[in-house]
Amino acid sequence: MMRWSVRLSRRSVRSLALGVATALVGCGGETARTGPSNELLIVGYDREPDTMNRYATHILEDIQAGVVEGLVTNDETMKIIPVLAAEIPTTENGAVIVRADGGMDVTWKLRPGVKWHDGVPHTSADVKFTVDAINKGDWKPESVDGFDRIASVDTPDSLTAVVHYKEVYAPYQLQFVRGTLPKHVLEGRDLNTANDYNRAPLGTGPYKVKEWKTGEYILLERAEGYWRGPQYPKIKQLLFRFLTNTTTRINLLKSGEVHMVALVAWDKVRELESMASLRMNRVVGNGYEHVTLNQKHFTPFADVKVRQALAHAVNRDLLVRTILDGQVEVVNGPIQPLSAAYEPQVPTYGFDPVRARALLTEAGWVPGADSIRMKDGKRLAFTLITQSGFAIRENVSQALQQAFRDVGAEMTVKLLDGTTISSVWFTGDFDAMLHWWQMGADPELTLFFAGDRMPPAGRNINYVNDAELSALLYRSDRTADVAQRNVLLREAQRRIAALAPEIVLYNTAKVDAVPRSLRGFTGNPTNAGPFWNVYQWEIGTP
Amino acid sequence: MRGAMRGMIVRRVLQSAPLLVLISVLVFALLQAVPGGPLAAYLENPNVRPQDIERLRAAMGLDRPLAAQYVSWLSAFVRGDWGYSFADGRPVLDRVLERVPATLELVGASTVLALCVALPVGVLASVHRLFDRVTSLVAVAGISLPVFWFGLLLQLVFAITLGWLPSSGRASFGANSFADRIAHLVLPVVVLAAVQAAAWSRYLRRAMRETIGRPFMNAARVRGVSERGVLWHHALPNALSPFITVVLLDAAMMASGAVVTESVFAWPGVGSLFTESLVKRDYPVLMAFLMCGAMAVMVLNLLADIAVRSIDPRTRGAA
Repeated sequence: MMRWSVRLSRRSVRSLALGVATALVGCGGETARTGPSNELLIVGYDREPDTMNRYATHILEDIQAGVVEGLVTNDETMKIIPVLAAEIPTTENGAVIVRADGGMDVTWKLRPGVKWHDGVPHTSADVKFTVDAINKGDWKPESVDGFDRIASVDTPDSLTAVVHYKEVYAPYQLQFVRGTLPKHVLEGRDLNTANDYNRAPLGTGPYKVKEWKTGEYILLERAEGYWRGPQYPKIKQLLFRFLTNTTTRINLLKSGEVHMVALVAWDKVRELESMASLRMNRVVGNGYEHVTLNQKHFTPFADVKVRQALAHAVNRDLLVRTILDGQVEVVNGPIQPLSAAYEPQVPTYGFDPVRARALLTEAGWVPGADSIRMKDGKRLAFTLITQSGFAIRENVSQALQQAFRDVGAEMTVKLLDGTTISSVWFTGDFDAMLHWWQMGADPELTLFFAGDRMPPAGRNINYVNDAELSALLYRSDRTADVAQRNVLLREAQRRIAALAPEIVLYNTAKVDAVPRSLRGFTGNPTNAGPFWNVYQWEIGTP
Repeated sequence: MRGAMRGMIVRRVLQSAPLLVLISVLVFALLQAVPGGPLAAYLENPNVRPQDIERLRAAMGLDRPLAAQYVSWLSAFVRGDWGYSFADGRPVLDRVLERVPATLELVGASTVLALCVALPVGVLASVHRLFDRVTSLVAVAGISLPVFWFGLLLQLVFAITLGWLPSSGRASFGANSFADRIAHLVLPVVVLAAVQAAAWSRYLRRAMRETIGRPFMNAARVRGVSERGVLWHHALPNALSPFITVVLLDAAMMASGAVVTESVFAWPGVGSLFTESLVKRDYPVLMAFLMCGAMAVMVLNLLADIAVRSIDPRTRGAA
């Protein structure tokens, strides 16, 4: 019995080895990796889009941006530039008029000669159709922001659309950043279920959707007759492979199976920097990581001295140098350095534990038996919530915990998954939260800091209520002139810094890993995304 | 006997109906209890205003009482209307069905590979002590392997360092050959099969050992049947009937539980649809998925019973 059992196992081992060898040798050639070329660029993308309809999607519009163009976009310096519009309407060029009744008229001049991919001209009727479709109310676009303030749209000629707002709407320049809907295709249809359009939208952009293989990839292919001229786009096909697992995405970049990855986590940048075929493109982001201090839920935060003390307790430079590997920059407020509304001269809170302790003592918090400070029998102890599975945040939370303990405040860390955390902050049921806001290209702050914009009316989850600040913010919202509005927003930033409603940590820099041979890639600080100028991209010699 | 079998099948199907309704109530309640909800994803975007959230909540029908939501879901579900995905607005049935082939391919191949390993190993380990020691060590290692770690390790070695195999996906872009498909299957199948083969070989070994100790084995030997014959023709068929039940149930679990493997290898199966839907709290897809999972377990359980009855005459009399 022993003899044949050995014989059998030998045989099975041999056949197994043979099978594996055949599989490996047989397939080696098939999986040979080809580098990026002007024929094909493969992008490792972190998620599958929900829909290709730019108005309905609620994730980044990176893939969509190559197909459906906005009237405007913003470049890598956050400057708003025209795309399907001939120029940006402003008060100076007379295209924006504030009416005597408090409303506002914005005249959009469209770029002549632009055609949809089916050859039909792009006109002001498409602009009007877009506004009407969104305001009709039976469709589920992600946001109706701004559209709900439009009373009507006039189309005096095929290239002019006059948008009549019921009131002044300061972010009007970005109203059509998501483009227009083709009237001749979508008129009279239910947009919620128009899946031919939602899966492969008709656009005016450099690319068309050639194939969407669910769960695997989206393939974009050059659209012939692009309005910028036959030399664009330069890369024939863009393949977006959906790779949700972060490590897998990085592994594929290393093995050469994908050519680029947008938004590399900061703690992975150094690992990829050593690869000769790649370039790490870094731009300042339009978002900021911070600790929200919910003064309604944990009342000691209502005292400005307590908030300032906690801000002084944190060594942000050290955090950035160590945990963030030097990939980001310390910032001091909600509007980021690239914005035209950015104010650099604000009160700041450098690392100063002595000052922190003094401020807490001034506020009446004195050390108790366990060195945690107390006031009126209450300990200075609170819970910070942050996203689980995000190594950097978990490490930053621990560093904060230590920093606060050093000045006599006890912080417990609670990790929650991303979806849960969104609903928790919306209900306001937390003491403190470590997170970021990714801001739109428009510098509006009202939603985040006005006294009457606490949830559910807005995102003021610090629950800060300062009359002076609120007044400034609302005035800025009702100022159509961009320069005047920025003056008000600068003053608002100084006021916010003085109030220290949250502990501002660092700018959310955006790092993209791209082939060294890729020309024309700039990255983008906002949700316009790194593909904003994809028509210019070209693979050259590295 | 045929009638008895048919009777059993009818009875089991009838029994499963109320059970499925009960499961659906539990699953529905559990999903609602998970914090978050489908609108949480929208909150990330500062341009989504509170009035947008209210508008979307009403549009998705989430503003109605829970009981009403459940009843309308159930009545539609039994009529074959599985609703539309909150995430992309497409019919749920389409979304689930398009993922099934990839999962069947992965789970089918893994099951076959795991059986090819588990059957000889389990049988031999039951009679060969040294072999048993070695394989038991390997099996313990196999069972305790963290799947994501093992998967990433294989990727690192075979895709990045050696460059022999593709690290993920179901096929190379543009390639349409059988060899390419097989190459993509190798790593995820090995990962999934490793755990199953380890568990199944141990299970079979135990079942064999129990059978070998029974008196009818000696009776066979006395009749002059060779050791080899005793082992393969008498012990194995007897040990197989509980083993088949385990394999079929595990295969059902594997189909719904290949979530980690599918994520690591970007495999476009139902597991990755489930993860994605869970993150988005896409209730219609999650309900359909979990109900299909429950039904799959029931069907395979029934199949297992039918298989056992056909193999093992002793079970045929029992109801």
